Amino acid sequence: MDMSTLARFQAALAGAIMRPLGPGETMRREGHAVAAEFVKPNARLAAKDRLQIYNQQYWWRLLGSFGDDFGGLAAVLGERRFERLAIAYLDACGSASWNLRDLGQGLSAFIVAHPELLGSHGPLARDMAALEWARVIAFDAAEWPRIDPVEFASRRPSRMKLGLQPYLTLLELQYPVDRLLQKLKQSENAAASNARSSGAGSRKLRLHAKPAASPVHLAIHRSELVVYYKRLQPAAYHLLSALRAGETLENACGMAFGDEAVAADQIAAKVQQWFSAWTAFGWLCEKPAIMTKKPAPLACPLC
Amino acid sequence: MTASRFTNFQDYGVGIGLRIPHYQHILEKKPVVDWFEIISENYMGEAGRPLAVLDQILEQYRVVQHGVSMYFGNTARPNRDHLKKLKALTKRTKTPWVSDHLCWGSVDGRFTHDLLPMPYTWEAVKTTARNVREVQDFLELPVAVENVSSYAEFHLSEMTEWEFLNEVVEAADCGILLDVNNIYVSSRNHGFDPRDYVNAVPPGRVAQTHLAGHTEFKKYILDTHDHPVIDPVWALYELAMQRCGRVATLLEWDDKIPSFEEVHTEALKANRFLPASAAAA
Repeated sequence: MDMSTLARFQAALAGAIMRPLGPGETMRREGHAVAAEFVKPNARLAAKDRLQIYNQQYWWRLLGSFGDDFGGLAAVLGERRFERLAIAYLDACGSASWNLRDLGQGLSAFIVAHPELLGSHGPLARDMAALEWARVIAFDAAEWPRIDPVEFASRRPSRMKLGLQPYLTLLELQYPVDRLLQKLKQSENAAASNARSSGAGSRKLRLHAKPAASPVHLAIHRSELVVYYKRLQPAAYHLLSALRAGETLENACGMAFGDEAVAADQIAAKVQQWFSAWTAFGWLCEKPAIMTKKPAPLACPLC
Repeated sequence: MTASRFTNFQDYGVGIGLRIPHYQHILEKKPVVDWFEIISENYMGEAGRPLAVLDQILEQYRVVQHGVSMYFGNTARPNRDHLKKLKALTKRTKTPWVSDHLCWGSVDGRFTHDLLPMPYTWEAVKTTARNVREVQDFLELPVAVENVSSYAEFHLSEMTEWEFLNEVVEAADCGILLDVNNIYVSSRNHGFDPRDYVNAVPPGRVAQTHLAGHTEFKKYILDTHDHPVIDPVWALYELAMQRCGRVATLLEWDDKIPSFEEVHTEALKANRFLPASAAAA
């Protein structure tokens, strides 16, 4: 079926508006033909200049929002490399949601597919991107009804399946980016406070030294409306990951401690201690029907 | 005029947009404000701080929802998932009406996050009215469509912007959110008399007005919501109030946001421009 005039108009203009800006943050030549076809000039502005206003607003808005969500990644990569990455990502994936909050949903997959955009900071940058996206999720993702501890204690581990809260993300990372991001934010706050007193200054996060690699297992979660990072022992991380994957509690424990030469009573004591903390945090929930669906892949839905 | 079917027969005075920098002041000082307008999308997450704050606001204040991403003018029909989330929020806020913009903004599932102006064509009237009706039916609430600021005009257009607005609201049988700052900005960018626009709008359909500041550049004006309202915009507002009577009025201030008192004081200037009988009401 032929496109309607309105559909053709919207497709052409959207294409021109979402095309990356050229030198001097002006609209690229490819947009000029679209402008000439659809946009009227006036006494002060040519058609291309009028369309350029929308082209610029689009990129400034999306880059601003992306920069707000991934300030740590910008610090790791440096301003120029981060901007190149942001433009490449937004050009390839764009925004697939009415909510700007979702802008970074495909970033982790994108940077795995495009390591050349990360320079020598690949693993550190990937870890930071994963952490910052987990923060977005922890901020406002759903909270399901928590599991009843009494009910929980009465079930048989061999049959028990548990859900984890949607706001909780588990990450296995090569670098301690949780501490790094906290440091960066602290220096940002100090800079902001100095800037207020001096009336100038930048709010951008700055990385002064690359941290040494040191594997960490993290749970990024929300408590009393505040986002937290909690470090986990590797076995605790694997246990929670197995539960999230749908394993029974018994199988999850087996997978978590499979290779460790630890006495059964010690394992039981550890697991009891962990579950006591996790139920207190509210991480464990019944697995509602909606959560038994396979989770959507963390990838750009458009590319 | 206020308290019409386009406002669910509710009478609202002068309000301001609820913005994050003012949360603490509002929750602690509980200032007297007739109503707050919220950006719906900011509260359409599933949990967390935004909804927790909103619930506290709702304990004290009346709230009206204003959206920025329904894109009535898209050729695609409204997204069902978006509508379901929006409807859930309307149940929470008990908003008497819902507003969004007379614009388009996404194509093939890719979003510009901008309020892009329509070509003023009969095809666009039909498409836009269909989408407004669909949203109105789904939400079971009156919908008001807002005129946007624009920086471009199109060869395809077959009528003026105000004629287009009137055709859409008649065909959709919906209300109007008349943004007088947007009229002013577009009039300067396109060279028409803004009073022609205000005089052409059907007064009975105006559910709400918006006021805001803007930024003047050398060759065009940008709708930035980061300044006080300028006198020519107040004059347009006065004209609109003379024609429409007392209409729910809302000041938007979205960037370089000053203190709560400054924003609220600016909004309350609107009372000076209400018709005498209405201001006393």
